Amino acid sequence: MPVVTLYYDRLKKLVGKKGLKEILEMMPYVALDIEEQSNKYVKVEYNPNRPDFSTDYGIARALRGMFGIETGVPKYQQSKGNVLVNVDASVKKVRPFIVSMVALEGRLDDEGIRQIIAMQEDIHEGIGRKRKKVSIGIHNYDVVKSPILYSTENPSSKFVPLNSNKSMSMKEILENIDVGRQYAWILKGHKRFPVIKDAEGNVLSFPPIINSELTKVTESTKNLFIDITATDLKAAEDALAILAITLYEAKFKIQTVKVNYGGKILETPNMKETVKDLKPDYANKLLGLKLNANEIAKCLAKSRIGANMGKNSIKCRIPRYRIDIMHSIDLVEELAIGYGIYNMNATYPRSSSAGARDTIMSILDKLREGLSGLGMIEVMNFSLVSKEVQYSMMKRGMSNILAVEQTKSIEHEVLRDSLIPSLMFTLSKNIHEPYPQRIFEVGKVFFANENNVKEYWSVAGAIAHKDADYTEAKSYLQALLDSLFNIKVETRAVTNVILADGKSAEVVFNDKNIGMIGEIKETIINNFKMRVPVSVFEINMSYLLKI
Amino acid sequence: MTVDVKTLHEIERRLIKALANGKLTFDILTQKTGLNVDQVRRGVEWLKHKNLVNVNEKITRSLSIGSEGVKAAESGLPERRLVNLLLSIKEIAIPDARKQSDLDDIEFNVAISNARTKGWIKIVDGKIVLGDSITESNEERLLSRLSKEKLLVDMLNADELTAYQLLKKRPNFIEEIEVKSVEIELSQNGLAIVDQVMKQTEIERAIDVSAPAPVIYPGRKHPLQDIIDEVREVFIGLGFQEIDGPLVQNSFWNFDVLFTPQDHPAREMQDTFYVANLQANNVADRKIVNNVSSIHRRGWNYRWNIDDARKYVLRTHTTPVTIRYLADNKPDESRVFSVGRVFRNEKLTYKHLAEFYQVEGIVVGSNVTLRDLMGLQTDFYSKMGMRKVKFWPSFFPYTEPSLQSMVYYERLGKWVELFGMGIFRPEVTIPVGVKNPVLAWGGGLERIAMLRYGLDDVRELYSNKISWLRSVAKCQL
Repeated sequence: MPVVTLYYDRLKKLVGKKGLKEILEMMPYVALDIEEQSNKYVKVEYNPNRPDFSTDYGIARALRGMFGIETGVPKYQQSKGNVLVNVDASVKKVRPFIVSMVALEGRLDDEGIRQIIAMQEDIHEGIGRKRKKVSIGIHNYDVVKSPILYSTENPSSKFVPLNSNKSMSMKEILENIDVGRQYAWILKGHKRFPVIKDAEGNVLSFPPIINSELTKVTESTKNLFIDITATDLKAAEDALAILAITLYEAKFKIQTVKVNYGGKILETPNMKETVKDLKPDYANKLLGLKLNANEIAKCLAKSRIGANMGKNSIKCRIPRYRIDIMHSIDLVEELAIGYGIYNMNATYPRSSSAGARDTIMSILDKLREGLSGLGMIEVMNFSLVSKEVQYSMMKRGMSNILAVEQTKSIEHEVLRDSLIPSLMFTLSKNIHEPYPQRIFEVGKVFFANENNVKEYWSVAGAIAHKDADYTEAKSYLQALLDSLFNIKVETRAVTNVILADGKSAEVVFNDKNIGMIGEIKETIINNFKMRVPVSVFEINMSYLLKI
Repeated sequence: MTVDVKTLHEIERRLIKALANGKLTFDILTQKTGLNVDQVRRGVEWLKHKNLVNVNEKITRSLSIGSEGVKAAESGLPERRLVNLLLSIKEIAIPDARKQSDLDDIEFNVAISNARTKGWIKIVDGKIVLGDSITESNEERLLSRLSKEKLLVDMLNADELTAYQLLKKRPNFIEEIEVKSVEIELSQNGLAIVDQVMKQTEIERAIDVSAPAPVIYPGRKHPLQDIIDEVREVFIGLGFQEIDGPLVQNSFWNFDVLFTPQDHPAREMQDTFYVANLQANNVADRKIVNNVSSIHRRGWNYRWNIDDARKYVLRTHTTPVTIRYLADNKPDESRVFSVGRVFRNEKLTYKHLAEFYQVEGIVVGSNVTLRDLMGLQTDFYSKMGMRKVKFWPSFFPYTEPSLQSMVYYERLGKWVELFGMGIFRPEVTIPVGVKNPVLAWGGGLERIAMLRYGLDDVRELYSNKISWLRSVAKCQL
């Protein structure tokens, strides 16, 4: 989850009227998790549905509401600007949308710049889906000449990228610069790349990769030109609105930009609030509260939501940066937060029905009880295991395996089709412990079946000591099945790749093969670097129970 | 310093009683007390430490029979063999005796000399004449005893001592070894309490109750399974029915039906395990698929693609089981819960596993509220022994409002984040045909197990060290 760093001096100034202790105590109640604290700053984690929390401006805005310092919908102003962005039809194939704005006469100190850059990065990660969906370019407006053209170019065309002093082709940028290599995947397969140029033909940006050195923003930059390119127009507008509102609160003047999509003009940004209805009954019923419309309005105001009384419902005015509010249920949560979760008392509803265990789980419970009663120790291994242990060390063939894609660890490559390899692995980890060792495991086993995955409950036991043999394993298995189900199984001689010839059987119940029993081959025991014989059994419980 | 007799160990009491009549060696003490050698050694150490006995080292000489002695014990001393020759004839000339006896020259001379000394014969005019009294000699008696057992010189009586002196002069009749031995006797303090000890007869037959017994290990469930079962018991006690479902789900039930957009980062392969080369033909009932498709289009503003929903995923939470239950049963009122494994594509570290347990409970009802959810949660924790709970707002993609719970853990003296919870979004419940609100909560169980068993590294729970499995207490008080 994204993390934002908040310096106390700025935060106190932005919130106003409240001490640090109160501010920190309130944070969890607007869903901010404190991660780390020093004597200068606090790092908080915010939920990815709240990109407006990616700067201290946004967090202070929410806290001011909770403290009652400033409630209701914040007011934002913007003026019409003269900048025009023409969109060439060729971008449709690669990155079809652009929205834009101008922010004037602002002054950002180092920390202000850091906050805005951090916001840009968080938007790239979240709404932007690692820049694939949305990417942001921030430029020095003073060097930009309107009208601007959003178009495509051949990968061989050149410009000087940000933080460089030499001209490079876009192809070279993707190959030779870190940020190019990191995001080249987004443009993979495209013959022409998106480019933003100004009236004089200077490249401003190569979205979603890098800006040009020409429009670099420094501490002395006062006026900003911002572009957002995207594959989804709504996401681009959302991101621009959040950026515009944040810059407004950082004391910039916001001017609109006209974007011309082949004659169809879109004027951005849009900082206007949206309206959604909330029925008081609906909210009270879900929260277990009995608030009247006025009380509801007050709570919503603390969450920075405006409320106008309608006949049967409250017309809620939602600030533009709250892109997470999609449904009236989201307003119910805002109401709860404004009311204060700490003010909500728990209620204890009675159950009208009796609880019960699941039938199969209950049988597995008894399996564990039975095997423990026989003196065996339960072990727990993963369902997702390595090919090495499951197949190679067991000398088993690898046909029809169920592998997962792109695992981060070779310990987790395949879904196991038998529990015995895991038991062997467990025994091999315990060769320094006193023998005899008698262990068991209850777990799922998995098989591919046409376009389906079949999974079954399985139980397996392993016995290791200097005299462990077939007969002992059979004694345990028959004691288990007899004590649990009063059933007798047949054991028929059969060859098995993991079991010693002549000491290997299939377990048969009602003429169906439900498992195996036998002595592990010496070569396999050697593979696990063990020095005592091991006898095992494994029963497919799903077959046995016909489930 | 006096010793309270009652505090004496059974072993000590037995030793004092045996020593009441005087000093004894370890061997004799062992015989007399019936204790084993180790017990005697330990007991003597304890008594010495309490100043109740003195331990003195002593050198004793031990006698055993030599090679000549063995012959003599079988066929008689030379003098006896000579006398036996005379028993019927009463007298014989010396040269004749020499010829008729089976003695060699040296033996013959020794025999004459010793038989005379004992008065068994006289020499009269070159003849050997049988004497009047021919009794068994001391040497013969001693040899006969030595042929059966070793003897200590100190234990011999006066006659035996004489015989020993005589036999010692004859080569290879007796072997003598010096043995260092230890003698234990009661000290002044010991003597002072001996009468009291003698009177304490009632517990004389008690065993050494403090001695360690051999170790045996019981069979048992895995400690994590104990926690799982405890959690299940609490849910059942709160009126919940247990449900179970597959670990491998198609993406539709793991993500789409839960209103997770198809470009959501949680669906990426670097976070989620997908089964390679396998896709579901049929993800769900057509009506539900259509409902989900349109709710995604309206809510997230994109074209929903059924192919993404076909991919098999190792479930990332237990919620697909819950939501399938809701879709299959469309209950108006219900309480169910599910515990099982879930998966995340993570590298194993001390705080992350790729596969772990999650529990999840839901309550469906026409009048259920967020405050009820807080109450259920408080009840649950309280039954798990955690009494202080607080709630913070939170975010989960498929619940709204959402809360997270913080629990005060007494043993650590700190607040710990545990389960998340919320009310299922209408975008989740309406498409599967559930009209009433659904309260849901859940979370990982390993956290609770780590707190309970005092572990810092979550991997320990799956390391299956038999020593740990055998040693961890089933009841954590």
